[in-house]
Amino acid sequence: MAATFGEMSVRQIQAGLAAREFSAAEVARATLERIGAADEAVHAFLQVTEDLALAAASRVDAAAAEGRLAELGPLAGVPVGYKDNMNLTGTRTTCSSNMLRDYVSPYTATCVQRTLDAGALPIGKLNMDEFAFGSSTETSAFGPTRNPWDLGRVPGGSSGGSAAAVAAGLVPVTLGSDTGGSIRQPGSFCGIVAVKPTYGVVSRYGVVAFGSSLDQVGPFARSVEDAALALNAIAGRDELDCTSQPCDVDFTANLAEGAAGLRVGVVPAFMEAAGLTAEVRAKVEEAASALEAAGAVLVDVELPHAQAAMSAYYVLGPCEAFSNLARFDSVRYGYCDPGHADLGSQYEASRERGFGPEARRRIMLGSYLLSAGVYDTYYYPAQQVRTLITRDYLDAFEKVDVILAPVAPRTAFKFGEIGDPTEMYLSDMFTISINIAGNGGMSMPVGLGADTGMPVGVQLIAPPFRDANMLRAAAALEQVFGPAPVAPAFADGKAGE
Amino acid sequence: MTQHLTEHDVRGIAEYTRIGLTAEEVVAMTADLNAIIDSLSPITEYDLDGVEPTFHPIGDLSNVMRDDVERAGFTQETALMNAPRQEDGSFLIPSILGEGGDR
Repeated sequence: MAATFGEMSVRQIQAGLAAREFSAAEVARATLERIGAADEAVHAFLQVTEDLALAAASRVDAAAAEGRLAELGPLAGVPVGYKDNMNLTGTRTTCSSNMLRDYVSPYTATCVQRTLDAGALPIGKLNMDEFAFGSSTETSAFGPTRNPWDLGRVPGGSSGGSAAAVAAGLVPVTLGSDTGGSIRQPGSFCGIVAVKPTYGVVSRYGVVAFGSSLDQVGPFARSVEDAALALNAIAGRDELDCTSQPCDVDFTANLAEGAAGLRVGVVPAFMEAAGLTAEVRAKVEEAASALEAAGAVLVDVELPHAQAAMSAYYVLGPCEAFSNLARFDSVRYGYCDPGHADLGSQYEASRERGFGPEARRRIMLGSYLLSAGVYDTYYYPAQQVRTLITRDYLDAFEKVDVILAPVAPRTAFKFGEIGDPTEMYLSDMFTISINIAGNGGMSMPVGLGADTGMPVGVQLIAPPFRDANMLRAAAALEQVFGPAPVAPAFADGKAGE
Repeated sequence: MTQHLTEHDVRGIAEYTRIGLTAEEVVAMTADLNAIIDSLSPITEYDLDGVEPTFHPIGDLSNVMRDDVERAGFTQETALMNAPRQEDGSFLIPSILGEGGDR
């Protein structure tokens, strides 16, 4: 079978549209059909938005007929999927929670709107860990997503659906969100390009909040250029999110520059970290050598407080989640347990049955950590540690343009393999400090691990608002390792058999 | 493992956060929370004298007011479209004052 549209790059789709080889309506219909055939095995999609995709396609086709295709924007005619914590008017936005099972978005998130303004075909909403609390997508109330590279393994999380949909070649581009690693870790587990930009590059307006000082939206794709094009579409100031910053960077501009002269930091303590598997470590070393061979200069850098990031995050994240999830009151929206004669018992039963176990744990943990007396023991020191971690990165970036590190300590694990919450939290040991400091980080696939045969991503970390640095380094790695392949069981239109 | 929280404490937190828990769930939650809080201990072991906290990654923001011009918001219908229970254009909740019970 010929390559499906989901296997094409953004530029290939646009070239085909421009040459009238196919229409955007054909792209939309074929993509919907492909999802219908292949997603039963993966369960990346919670909802397919056929009517919206076809309506967007007809707008693209009308523009093409008038010769205005070039005016449409960087994602014209490209099917895009969205993590299900992103509002899109008229769709359900569930956060993979029973709490929001029936919630219909009355408005559209800015990041989603910007893809639509750029000509994207909104194809559906993607599975995730409930309220983004997790690293495996196993906490979804609607069942887990499976890793297209091995259906017995998790895709990572929390943006597991967003990563799996791209890895299976169902769509070329998706959006996810990252609070402690939720874009980069599933990107690594599924072997695709996954970008968490600097905090402030992309508006979070309309994205259901988890940790407001940590959350950032970013793209998944199978090539660096596709990710950069998607980032071009969604980045920039939005008056509806006061943390969003003006951004006039073209993220594709320096992708062809190569690594010559690039100063790449390597953190020795990360490479020696307990828990880092040999196969991941070998891949990070291979990536470092590849960059060096391409003319980069490798420099050892220290991040002495990075090991404190883990405990700081598991203080700050639950505190912010506790605050953000207080809004689910069973009155204005969300699950309402029926038949209660008093409001108190309605609240308690609705939040008990609406939230899953991990959400309940984090809410209660956050409440405890913010309580009088306890606040000074954990929350305040965590914010002081944040200062030290931020300084560490700023010091390191005096010496280097980008830092190379592992994404996750291991490749994708099997379903049920990790049951203990604190052990699951270790999945994010190399990604969390970036959210704490707020700078950019991404996962770049560099082939398969020698022991598990599963994809391995390396992490590229950029100084604040210099996200172009990591994209440039990623493009240099892509020259060596190639763009991310579609998972073999789904290549050439296969459906996981 | 240090006992940071007793089951009594956990019942108190559940009440405060408005999350109903069965007796068995209280036991499990107490164990889970104690284990997680134990894992946070590194944060208590740093010398942080004189280190200013960073509450937000973008530190130099100040609040600004937009121009006071009329702008459309949600209609009443849109605001109520996800309400589990509504009546006469309002959110409906069980009675919270005096007699009468639920409507």
